[in-house]
Amino acid sequence: MKHTIKLLLGALLILGMAAACDTDELHDMNINPNAVQEIDMNYFFTACCLGTASNGTSGDNRYTDWRTNVGTCAHAIQQLATTATGGIGGDGDKYMDGYVEGFNAPFQFMYRDVGKRATEVIKQTSEGGLFEGRMVNTKQASRILLAFNYLRITDWYGNVPFTEANKGLEGTFQPKYDKQKDIYTACLKELDEACAGFDAADVDYSLFKKADIIYGGDIAKWKKFGYSLMLRYAMRVSNVDAAMAATYVTKAVAGGTMTSNADIPWIQMTISPSEWTNQNGISRGFYPGDGGQWSASFLSKTLMDILKGTNPASTADDDPRLTVFTAGPIQWTASDLGTVLEPDPTKWIGLPNGKDQSQVNNELFGGTAVINYEKFCAVNTKMLQDDEPYQIAGAAESELLKAEAIVRGIGTVPGTAQQHYEAGVRLAMQVYDKYDATLAVSDAKVDAYLALYPYDATKALEQIGTQLWLSKWFNWWDSWCDVRRSGYPVLTPTNYIGNATGGKMIRKLLIPAAEASGNPNYAEGATLPDKLDTKVWWDGGAN
Amino acid sequence: MMIKRVYKNLKSTMLLFLWLTCSVAVLAQQRQISGSVKDAGGAGLPGVTVLVKGTTTGTTTNNEGKFSIMADNNATLVISFIGYVTQEVAVGGRSTVDVAMEEDTKQLGEVVVTALGVERSQKALQSSITKVPGMSLTAARENNLGSAMQGRVAGVNISKSSSGPAGSSRVIIRGNKSLGGANQPLYVIDGVPMDNSQFGQVGVWGGTDQGDGLTSLNPEDIESITILKGAAAAALYGSRGGFGVINVTTKRGSQKKGLGIEFNSNYVFEKVYRLDDLQEVYGTGGLAANPADPSGPQIYTKPWDKQSAWDWGMGSQWGPKWDGSSVYQFDGVQRPYVHAGDNWSRFYETGTSWTNSLALTGGGNNQTYRFSFSDMKDTFIVPNSSFKRKNLSLSTTGKFGKRITFNAKVMYSNEKMNNRSMLGDSPGNAPYAIWGLARNVNVMDLYGDPNKPGAVPVGVTTPDLKIPGEEYQQANNNWCQNPWWAAYQITNENVRDRFITSGDVRYNITDWLYVQGRIGMDWYTRNNYSLVPQGTGYSRGGSRSETTNFVREVNQEWTLGADKEFGKIRVNGFVGGNKMEREAENINISGTTFNVPFFASVINTSSQSIGYGYSKSGINSLFGSAEVSYGGFVYITATGRNDWFSVLNPKNNSKFYPSVGGSFVFTDAFNTLPEWLSFGKLRAAWGQVATANVGAYAVVPTYSLLGQGHQSVPMGTFAFGETIPNPNLNPALSSEIEFGTDLKFFNGRVGLELTYYTQKTVDDILDATISQSSGFNATKVNIGELSNKGYEILVSGTPVQGEVTWDISLNLAHNENKVVELAPGVTRLFIEEPRTRNAGVYHVKGMPFGMILGYKQAVDPASGKKVFDTNGYPVRSDVMEILGNGIAKMTGGLSNTVTWKRFTLDALIDYKFGGDIYSGTEVNLTGWGLHKQTLEYRDGGMPIEGVIKNTDGTYSPFSKTLTTNQDIRTYWSRLTGYAQEAFMYDASYIKLRQVQLEYKLPQTLLEKTPLTNVSVSFVGRNLWIIHRNTDNIDPESSYTSSSGQGIDQFAMPTTRSYGFNLRVVF
Repeated sequence: MKHTIKLLLGALLILGMAAACDTDELHDMNINPNAVQEIDMNYFFTACCLGTASNGTSGDNRYTDWRTNVGTCAHAIQQLATTATGGIGGDGDKYMDGYVEGFNAPFQFMYRDVGKRATEVIKQTSEGGLFEGRMVNTKQASRILLAFNYLRITDWYGNVPFTEANKGLEGTFQPKYDKQKDIYTACLKELDEACAGFDAADVDYSLFKKADIIYGGDIAKWKKFGYSLMLRYAMRVSNVDAAMAATYVTKAVAGGTMTSNADIPWIQMTISPSEWTNQNGISRGFYPGDGGQWSASFLSKTLMDILKGTNPASTADDDPRLTVFTAGPIQWTASDLGTVLEPDPTKWIGLPNGKDQSQVNNELFGGTAVINYEKFCAVNTKMLQDDEPYQIAGAAESELLKAEAIVRGIGTVPGTAQQHYEAGVRLAMQVYDKYDATLAVSDAKVDAYLALYPYDATKALEQIGTQLWLSKWFNWWDSWCDVRRSGYPVLTPTNYIGNATGGKMIRKLLIPAAEASGNPNYAEGATLPDKLDTKVWWDGGAN
Repeated sequence: MMIKRVYKNLKSTMLLFLWLTCSVAVLAQQRQISGSVKDAGGAGLPGVTVLVKGTTTGTTTNNEGKFSIMADNNATLVISFIGYVTQEVAVGGRSTVDVAMEEDTKQLGEVVVTALGVERSQKALQSSITKVPGMSLTAARENNLGSAMQGRVAGVNISKSSSGPAGSSRVIIRGNKSLGGANQPLYVIDGVPMDNSQFGQVGVWGGTDQGDGLTSLNPEDIESITILKGAAAAALYGSRGGFGVINVTTKRGSQKKGLGIEFNSNYVFEKVYRLDDLQEVYGTGGLAANPADPSGPQIYTKPWDKQSAWDWGMGSQWGPKWDGSSVYQFDGVQRPYVHAGDNWSRFYETGTSWTNSLALTGGGNNQTYRFSFSDMKDTFIVPNSSFKRKNLSLSTTGKFGKRITFNAKVMYSNEKMNNRSMLGDSPGNAPYAIWGLARNVNVMDLYGDPNKPGAVPVGVTTPDLKIPGEEYQQANNNWCQNPWWAAYQITNENVRDRFITSGDVRYNITDWLYVQGRIGMDWYTRNNYSLVPQGTGYSRGGSRSETTNFVREVNQEWTLGADKEFGKIRVNGFVGGNKMEREAENINISGTTFNVPFFASVINTSSQSIGYGYSKSGINSLFGSAEVSYGGFVYITATGRNDWFSVLNPKNNSKFYPSVGGSFVFTDAFNTLPEWLSFGKLRAAWGQVATANVGAYAVVPTYSLLGQGHQSVPMGTFAFGETIPNPNLNPALSSEIEFGTDLKFFNGRVGLELTYYTQKTVDDILDATISQSSGFNATKVNIGELSNKGYEILVSGTPVQGEVTWDISLNLAHNENKVVELAPGVTRLFIEEPRTRNAGVYHVKGMPFGMILGYKQAVDPASGKKVFDTNGYPVRSDVMEILGNGIAKMTGGLSNTVTWKRFTLDALIDYKFGGDIYSGTEVNLTGWGLHKQTLEYRDGGMPIEGVIKNTDGTYSPFSKTLTTNQDIRTYWSRLTGYAQEAFMYDASYIKLRQVQLEYKLPQTLLEKTPLTNVSVSFVGRNLWIIHRNTDNIDPESSYTSSSGQGIDQFAMPTTRSYGFNLRVVF
């Protein structure tokens, strides 16, 4: 009996120890049941599309739009104005640098959002990848989106990580910085190759069609989008690299840019499933329910003066966009789309940039305290619903840039400057029915506007610059690049007490402190000094 | 037929037995002897063994220390008890034998539970192991077991996050040993590890401290806690013991006659301990144009209408001096422009905590049991918040026959926490609103709808167009909550049901060889919901989230052990294996924007999303230990353990690590030592522990899906989130060597323990922060190296002994930590940042763990003078510079116990020195014009003296006087943004942590009752901050128990608690 128990216990002990050595079972334990080793790269591509719209795939779709697009850029280019002296809006309106989130946001989000996913699509569909040689169209579209996002980042920060960027999975954790000129050279080439590389006969074309939430797989439109970007970025370097500009302007125009608003890349946003991922980040940045910007930022005096035409007391000479951009002073709550407090456009006024509340009270209202939203025009809520479509780029821009290229003699562009100018103005005015049918602008109204304010060859660049500026309503961060490059429209910088630039417009965003102190390549390669008034290469700064 | 024969046999056996018993009794003339055993102070000693010498007859004393036994007149009784000198007393015809026991100071025979539940005498210990009796934890009702130990153990640095009654604690033993790991010890209950997961911490964007695993335990169930500090002590627990082990031994039943009943009732009050000292001269307001000079500088102005009052409703104490005039407030009502009084006491309540526990114990020769039930109700100082806990436990020990013994235990707890406070950043943060509220406004005027505190009352128009039922905001800041709304409407609740159960069986194969098996499980579900209601400032649509977590950890363990003496040599050893498996699963459904107004259900949300997470990991281990002793005064112990980790790749998932140590009791070895040296021991130990601070699935890159896609199209992403997996990860290895001595003098009246240790971790696994341009935030690397060295001192003594006995014990520990290496090329590693975002906690190569860095006011390197711009405002440094370190270098406590007759006074003082705190609260108070430092020169005349930086990079002397209100206001605003060194404080403190005064009722009063012991106590906790260097905050205001220590940002106010404890034993 005693013997048996001993044997039994010994056996149990050995079993116990054997279990302790069972490393196969241990290894299997580390296989994640909720992950896979291979995934259709089209799923990544869809995320790239959505990420290009609002960085929502990183978990906060309003972060960059609210802070950088709205807060910094829309105010810096004086389309919006605020009485805030700090925080969102105060940075762009008054060039204050105490609050840095608007300056840091794109760097913090772009690489981790579209950047790494588009890089993965390209990697896995290229040599050595899981889908080598397949998903050709998905790859080309991803190349366009990636180049576009890199160009945006370099426009805002100057030299940034590029050749070594998004290679964390390959072990490059602190990428080196590339010069803006080199990024431009590479990205323009990338756009060129991607546009040429689409193939409707590809075996995976049907997968691409399903995944493409921008064009539904329309290759012709992808090419127009690609060439339009090529034209934009070629023109952007035109002040500093005439050769690069000429080459790619010619190439882009020959390839075919967007000529109709039907060519525009839009992403339809949705209410569900998640407000942070799928809704429109710009809308959420204004939405009162999120604590948004509606009661803090208003159409600027600069913008209103332009929209209201030569005679402010008359609506006959107004830009048709006046009643598109705003419905006047409104009261907007979460449950109310916005009650219009003053429907008469002749009484509408814009808020001057660079003022605090008491200055506004004092200078505009004789010392009477006012509630801003009762006096100044807010952004039209018809464009600000949470499921509004997001416009990635416009068709008007291509036409206006062609006009400019002709005026300045850059590259080979058919047609006349006036033709392209007028086409651009028309496209710009007629794009807003996408947000709401009531925002449609008829051909007659466009014709009347063009008749009232005709193309004038002696002021062509100013006219083109101003129209470009007007055409990028909601695309304020790109408009800021145009303003820096062309100097049009001529804006009077603000000079609020304590501002960080000495009363000069912001010309560069700031690299996040964690990157500046963490990446040893920053000191070598970034555009320095990392100050708001430092110019990037194409703006006349050092390369 | 058969039955009959059995019966017959039985009957004859019984008869024979009876006859034998009677005849022995007659021969020996045995009779009943009763008596009592008391300690030196005259109190009855329960559980003392009383044995008739030379026989197997024996008993133990009951709860009052009384016993009765059958013995003859010539018998000698042997009375023995652990920790006391064994006595032999001749009966000598007496029928009553009373014995007074003496404490055995020389032998130091106390046993301590060491690794894997092995009981060893303290003489044999080679590393510093501290035992805390459960009694000292129960009286003051600190809900978190970790926090309850604060100040009691040398070398254990405990920080309780400043987040309320169910908050988490940070317990760091001998310094932080891993750059990226939790650094918290392994908690083991009766030999089985428990889960101490944290479910959320307050961070840069605010949030709630979701607590840890340590609030589940009922302190009444704890017999004692031993803290295994060194690597050598903890090595047998394997990787998870790498940061030390806290070994909890629960109470068990004991052999006794009848039923033992213990009842304990504890009622304590908790009140805010005000530390703020703000300016009370200037009122609410801000800068506005000067009517006398409209285009000139702005001047301090009172609110002139509802709108301006609302604009300045929060954090804007920049008006003129209070003058009693009538001014507008946020609700459009005009009230006197004076300090509105104490909003703190209007808002915060007196918290109460009532705990009732009942324990039944008993047992016979073969089995003992203990059953306990406990109920705690804690209402906190924040209105509408509470923590309730019910505990149920049943434990039993027993034996089958002579060779098999078993233990089994089930502990159940139910915890329900209502409304953990949102802290840190402003959203949902009531303390933030109380600090910053316009000071001429009475917080009761914000109460709003009496039936829905914090909501807009019917008939009121608010400046922000809220409708009745929505938040009644007091200021033009959507992110700053109405405090009543934060307390009553923004709600959360979590309920945890938890079973911790274990059982072990031991078979003594021979009297020196045994085999043992043990299985233990910690299993809980945690349901959590949080609601941001419709109409909240920052989320007008509202949102709701429901999460369920399941966690299960199972440990199976086998050991084969031997304990045999060969003459003077004794060998005690064992080998064994352990298999650990941990599973965690979470399911979340959340939604935003309610459709039906004010119907706060997740199904009523217009946009809904789900989340799911699952992970499973395991560690397999083999281990062995051998202790060889010679003559009872030399002990050598060696251990070894090999762990296999599921979370690492098979090619590098195995690690073996040894330990070895020795102790030498020289007072036992030599007889020639002086009399005053009653005990002396030297000890040394070296040990290694491997740790694998890696989650499941973090070594292989995989893909997953992102959310629920867009427009019904799926979206893909990387399954590992923002941290790049690393297939080549190895376990980190921590090595530690310690030396020490334990000395007792003058018959144990004075004791001294000294320990020196030096520790090093190599191949540390850390989430290295990488450039976001790599596409990710971090990667796991195997590179970091850091070291700790320090000493621990424990001095104890009994200066007065006799009618009054005074015991005093001082513990002190000093730890020096150094981050030797981060990843290659990396000199700084980001950990955490405060909401001001002008500072941060970083690991810095060559500096201690967790340095606080921040932007300073720029300084001319040549002259050391501060740099100003031409306006006279501070200029900021180009990069963040080192400001301090949030971790105290020196920690300890001073414990005093004075006994006089039936009174016992126990007081614990604890202290920390050498740490710093960056106060976001003080930054804001300064920016808001509330800090007293903003009083000077407020109306002008501020002299500025420093340098100015010229465009060519040189510096020129600069001086200016700031004269206008606008200048002064801008100066302070710039200072808060540009000079973080102004908000760093020395976080050293001395606190009167705990006081307990106990009175035991005299036995004479209880003689005629069924009661055997009754005591009442006054208890108090956190009564007095004796010393601090901060202006308005508690130096212990860190709101997180994560690695980002030393950041304060509108945490929960400090509280004091005091109350009564009643203990009744039947």
